[in-house]
Amino acid sequence: MAENVDIPEIHPADIMIKAMAMEITNDDIFLHGLASPLPALAMHLAKQTHAPEMVYINVTDALDPDPNKYRLCFSSADPRHAVNTLAIVELLETFDLASKGKPLGMFLGGAQIDSRANTNLTCIGSYESPKVKLPGGAATAYLTPLVKKLVLWTTNHSKRVFVEKPDFITGIGYEEGKDKEVTVITNLAVFKAGKEGLILKSVHPGVSVDDVVNNMSFAPVVKGEIKTTPTPTENEMELIKKLDPDGVRFSEFKR
Amino acid sequence: MKDKLVDAEKAVELINDGDSITFSGVSMVRAPMGFIKEIIKAGKKDLYIIDREPGMDFDILIAAKAVRKVRFAMLGFELFGLAPNFRKAAESKEIEWIEDTCGAITNAFRAGASGIPFVVVKGILGTDLVKIHEREGTWKVIKDPFNGEEILAVKAVNTDVAVIHVQKADRYGNASIEGSRFEDVYKAKGAKKLIITAEEIVDTEYFKKFPERNTIPYFYTTAVVHMPKGAYPTACPNYYPPDYDEIRRYLSMCREGKVDEYIKEWIERR
Repeated sequence: MAENVDIPEIHPADIMIKAMAMEITNDDIFLHGLASPLPALAMHLAKQTHAPEMVYINVTDALDPDPNKYRLCFSSADPRHAVNTLAIVELLETFDLASKGKPLGMFLGGAQIDSRANTNLTCIGSYESPKVKLPGGAATAYLTPLVKKLVLWTTNHSKRVFVEKPDFITGIGYEEGKDKEVTVITNLAVFKAGKEGLILKSVHPGVSVDDVVNNMSFAPVVKGEIKTTPTPTENEMELIKKLDPDGVRFSEFKR
Repeated sequence: MKDKLVDAEKAVELINDGDSITFSGVSMVRAPMGFIKEIIKAGKKDLYIIDREPGMDFDILIAAKAVRKVRFAMLGFELFGLAPNFRKAAESKEIEWIEDTCGAITNAFRAGASGIPFVVVKGILGTDLVKIHEREGTWKVIKDPFNGEEILAVKAVNTDVAVIHVQKADRYGNASIEGSRFEDVYKAKGAKKLIITAEEIVDTEYFKKFPERNTIPYFYTTAVVHMPKGAYPTACPNYYPPDYDEIRRYLSMCREGKVDEYIKEWIERR
């Protein structure tokens, strides 16, 4: 418990990075897309700690970029994220891995997320007459039915994001009977998607179960022991800060 | 090999009003911004622009009223926010738009390069994008002829024009993309006309020495333009990173309603 003394000092970004990293194992191939500073750091963190054999592919088409030369930049496709890469792996090749059923994992966002972890990244309002035209789902529609691990994240745990019925289904979440693990990581909590809905697994330090539940438009499944989400160790914090000396990881929280 | 080196004003004549066009790069990397400027200067209209994950290239063309329709899987500025001019034009229905998904549009470009009419793509079924594209005539749910299961057929994309910014090219149109290629080689090979813009014009000896670096050989190429800093303010790997300050300046001017001022100043800037 000693390392948790400074809990209020820990930014939700760092808790989310650690939680994302914990979804990655040595057997996984993980890909991250654009606008993905937290996933980029989580993949580095996993590879440098508990999952050194994981295959790291990013949106710059880079394979296993060198963590010692890496510096997180505003665009996830910044060529500096490909420094000392082992190979250029075209996105189409990575997509082929998904088609072949390889153990591919992907991090994706959601402007709206429902109780099955279906996501909307397309529009608020109708597709034909949107109130807000969002940037679009990128790989969401293609990859969500194919990946073995789907890790969704949002830095805005709120009723606006967790909705009963998304305005558009861009991505598919939980699918019964399929070899696909769906995790939802927010600035407040961690969930797994299952048959009964979004199952609360842990709340971040200083967050209550009520904080989590009261900021969703549908009721998540709350049962049994709800853990506290682990925070990064001192060593892990050092790794994160070294990869992101400019604090790009906090940008998503400012909007 | 024919000499295809021309200036930008000449190359832009290859584009007709109403053409479908795709561009190199992704987000803030290797978008052919220098040539986008030429398209705006030439006053091209009613373009149908298609790409996987575009950004400022699409947004500024929309702001300049050069666009009739857009197709993309994601169109924005990542952590800097939504694409202001696209958003405004889409929400006010000034332009048509169709959202795609990376796995479909990339495979559509690859099918276009292969000369096949369509490609089957896994995933996607069950999402609301399917009905949008069935209505558009770009996708169709079909039965696998061998096992009878449902699968998505995606129509190949062959644009009228592709504009691909590369690091090095010779005057005959041999072109070398360094670092991430994204789908640019497929876009180039699938297009009816291919315009290469290059940071450097190198001697053909360069390709004889390093033939594996010739990612787009000359016989695909229609025109070559020497355009140093031709991706700026997006990045060109091995040459320059993205200029985030300039991209943010564009966005803040757009948000202040001064996009016309930005475009005017951008066009005048050498």
